[in-house]
Amino acid sequence: MKNLALPLPRAAAILALAGFVVAFGPRPAAADGGDILIRNGTILTVTKGVIARGDILVLGGVIKAIGPDLAAPPGVRAVDAAGRFVVPGLIDSHTHIAVAGTNEGSEAITPEADVGAVVNADDASILTALSGGVTMVHTMHGSANPIGGPNVVLKMKWGRPSEELVVAEALPTLKFALGENVKQANRTVAAGRERRYPATRMGANAVIRRELEKARNYMARWDRYKKAAAAKNPPRTLVPPKKDLRLEVLAEMLRGERVARCHSYQATETLEFMGLAREFGFKIQCFEHCWEGYKIAGEIAAAGIGISGFADNWAYKMEAAEGIAEMAGYCARKGVLVSINSDSGERIRRLFNDAAKTMKYGGLSEDEALRLVTINPAIQLGVDRIVGSLEVGKQCDVAIFSGHPLSAYARCDMTIIEGRVYFDREALAREREAAAPAAAAAREVGGLQ
Amino acid sequence: MRISIVARPKPRVSPAVIVVLAALALDAAAPAPAADVGPTYAIRGCRIVPVAGPAIEKGVIVIRDGLIESLGPAGKVRIPDDAEIIEAEGLQAYPGLITAFSSLFLERPARSAGPEIPFEGPPPAAAQGTREDTFPPGPGLFVLDQLKPSRAAVESFHRAGFTTALVAPERGIFEGQSVILDLNGEALLPMVIRNGAALHVNFTTERGAYPSSLMGTIAHIRQSFIDAEYYAARQAQYAKGAAGLKRPAYDPRLEALVPFVRDRRPVVFQCNNVEDIKRALKIIAEFKLNALLAGANEAWRAADVLGKAPVPLLVGLDFRPPAASRYTTQGEELRKKAESAIYPANAAELAKAGLPFALVSGANADGTAVLKAVRAAIGAGLAEEAALRALTIQPARFLGLDQALGTLEPGKIANVVLVRGGLFDEKVRVVRVFVDGVRFDYETEEASK
Repeated sequence: MKNLALPLPRAAAILALAGFVVAFGPRPAAADGGDILIRNGTILTVTKGVIARGDILVLGGVIKAIGPDLAAPPGVRAVDAAGRFVVPGLIDSHTHIAVAGTNEGSEAITPEADVGAVVNADDASILTALSGGVTMVHTMHGSANPIGGPNVVLKMKWGRPSEELVVAEALPTLKFALGENVKQANRTVAAGRERRYPATRMGANAVIRRELEKARNYMARWDRYKKAAAAKNPPRTLVPPKKDLRLEVLAEMLRGERVARCHSYQATETLEFMGLAREFGFKIQCFEHCWEGYKIAGEIAAAGIGISGFADNWAYKMEAAEGIAEMAGYCARKGVLVSINSDSGERIRRLFNDAAKTMKYGGLSEDEALRLVTINPAIQLGVDRIVGSLEVGKQCDVAIFSGHPLSAYARCDMTIIEGRVYFDREALAREREAAAPAAAAAREVGGLQ
Repeated sequence: MRISIVARPKPRVSPAVIVVLAALALDAAAPAPAADVGPTYAIRGCRIVPVAGPAIEKGVIVIRDGLIESLGPAGKVRIPDDAEIIEAEGLQAYPGLITAFSSLFLERPARSAGPEIPFEGPPPAAAQGTREDTFPPGPGLFVLDQLKPSRAAVESFHRAGFTTALVAPERGIFEGQSVILDLNGEALLPMVIRNGAALHVNFTTERGAYPSSLMGTIAHIRQSFIDAEYYAARQAQYAKGAAGLKRPAYDPRLEALVPFVRDRRPVVFQCNNVEDIKRALKIIAEFKLNALLAGANEAWRAADVLGKAPVPLLVGLDFRPPAASRYTTQGEELRKKAESAIYPANAAELAKAGLPFALVSGANADGTAVLKAVRAAIGAGLAEEAALRALTIQPARFLGLDQALGTLEPGKIANVVLVRGGLFDEKVRVVRVFVDGVRFDYETEEASK
């Protein structure tokens, strides 16, 4: 492999192992203990400017030093990134990958349906994400319900057990949804079954308010009970309220321990949801998609809310008709914390292409565009202290691109999480080449022609 | 040990005398005379594999009235005068095998053969008015009420050495309660060792109703246990002093769950993949359940977490990788390899990790196919000795029946299997089976020559 400066004859063996493991193995993707030296790359730190040619030393998964001509302790693997671009691992603020099931669509209000409880580390979309330099995703409940469920932030550690993917430092979030997806969920129902409420936008707003009222009452009941139980001689007939998983999650949000992430398309419903947040005192971290965000960018920015949107493909349905390609760039320039998301297990490998589109549509600079898929989503997810840029002390989640990541001609060659290589394009190609003769032999015997 | 308390064969007496004698017996703790005293057999000349200790060459097993009276080397065991002698030279005697998770005698609707997660829901229109309809799944369902015993099913299990089976319900999330049967004939009730043996829970969904997703299912399971705990606490509070308390409403569903959350009666979680195991462990810890995991054909992938919280595993012998597994989605070559080599090694890996497990027949109704799968597990590295224990003493312990079953020892129930060849040899022939001391002959004179 030409971009590797391995002083050891074991290089080939290590590569073969890495390739096999990345492709198939249940074992760790690379056995280099989270220590790595990335040399001679053009480093786009995102927060600390560009280093035309420099090294990154990683020990125990954490960036120890960034600068020219760094030396690594003996035995630490060195990756030569000469002529390549080293960027922070990309972060997708809105996906539905690596889970078993997306929507609890049988009911409209399901905050108890926790995406974090159904992580599936075997989902091959993780590999797809890695191949596009994505190292972290926010895997969300679907948009079928006005109130969906808690979401989960995952690192794309392909081959590692599910519990190691979960990013415990991330901000707890709860999915909300407005508009057509909510209205039209369960549109066709089996004979004898009632159509699900709500069926209109005003219904969506009303049902969310009703549920938040319930949660307020629930919290008040518990407060009254705890007060009575703490009294000197609590009455023998004192009965505690029953724990309700659905309302517990909403109570967490009303107490400020969890933030809202709300799927919205149109400006009106977006503003109405902001009204609910003011009324009940909860924090909206982000609007999802937010196609008409450009109409209310000032209001969104003033409220300290972010947007996680698409780069293009607007107007694919009526409620997105007034979406514009400039939305993300325009809102970012207006001071909104914007990220670009894939919302897809396939588009996720082209997240860097999508970020680049904001330069054409929206006029963002290279630096600004790159922020949309690195530090901005990190801030949205509450993990900017540990990832999102290349800085000493942060976890070493890195993507190495063949060219500038915002170039249409660039591709991701290597993806590293906490100093471990989880994707290595060249090793993978080698592995496939080696497997080809066996596959061809099978074809000669028979089967589909 | 109950060795000394054996009923002597008696001449026929009138029922009135029996009643009197029975009353006397209770008083004097004398041997209880019974109306139906089973026959006495002396199995002579066989090699005995008692599992409880080393094998005995040329041994004798004396069976009296359903129990093992004595066993040992030929010279050391007195053969009673009234015993029918069964010459067993060239044969080996094993304890009757136990499958601690089966669907024996359960008629199930036709289902696709693929390795998909069973999808449960209301019966389709065509099935209206059938048995499925009369027994909706739920924690209060006793699978015993659904069983249709058949001679063919008993014979199929006997011919593979199985004499004892736990039959688990298999529809819905809270599937109902299992029964443990000794396969001693054709009539169902005399077979019952314990009804309501365990509560069975499956990570499945409801078609078109709540919960329709796995995350909803997990919330539903947790909320049900929370509700049952709350229900038990309210009932207890009310029983202690009703004055001033609103009478708690009766709820048959929660009433059925109470013994499992309050009294630690066993709960079996059906685990269809590695993630189900982790999901079950979290629920077990949350509600401090006395639990077992069934299926668990990816248990080796969770060996780390299982090592921290050892739970008895009822390991199925289905070697097909689950649908969403990386072993299924990464190409046909890997899937085939997984089915032929990786999944059969599950039990061997668990043994290596020192995790407690039993091997179970699961949904496989064909006894010889089950034995074939056991041989595959042995072929993949499981020691024969470990396999034997996983089919005898280990399940007996898991089910709390090791005082009565699981080994050949005086005082235990006379479940004995006589085979030609080793139990795990491909050409093994089951010659005779004793269950509760009832004799079944499976090899004709010609076949034995």
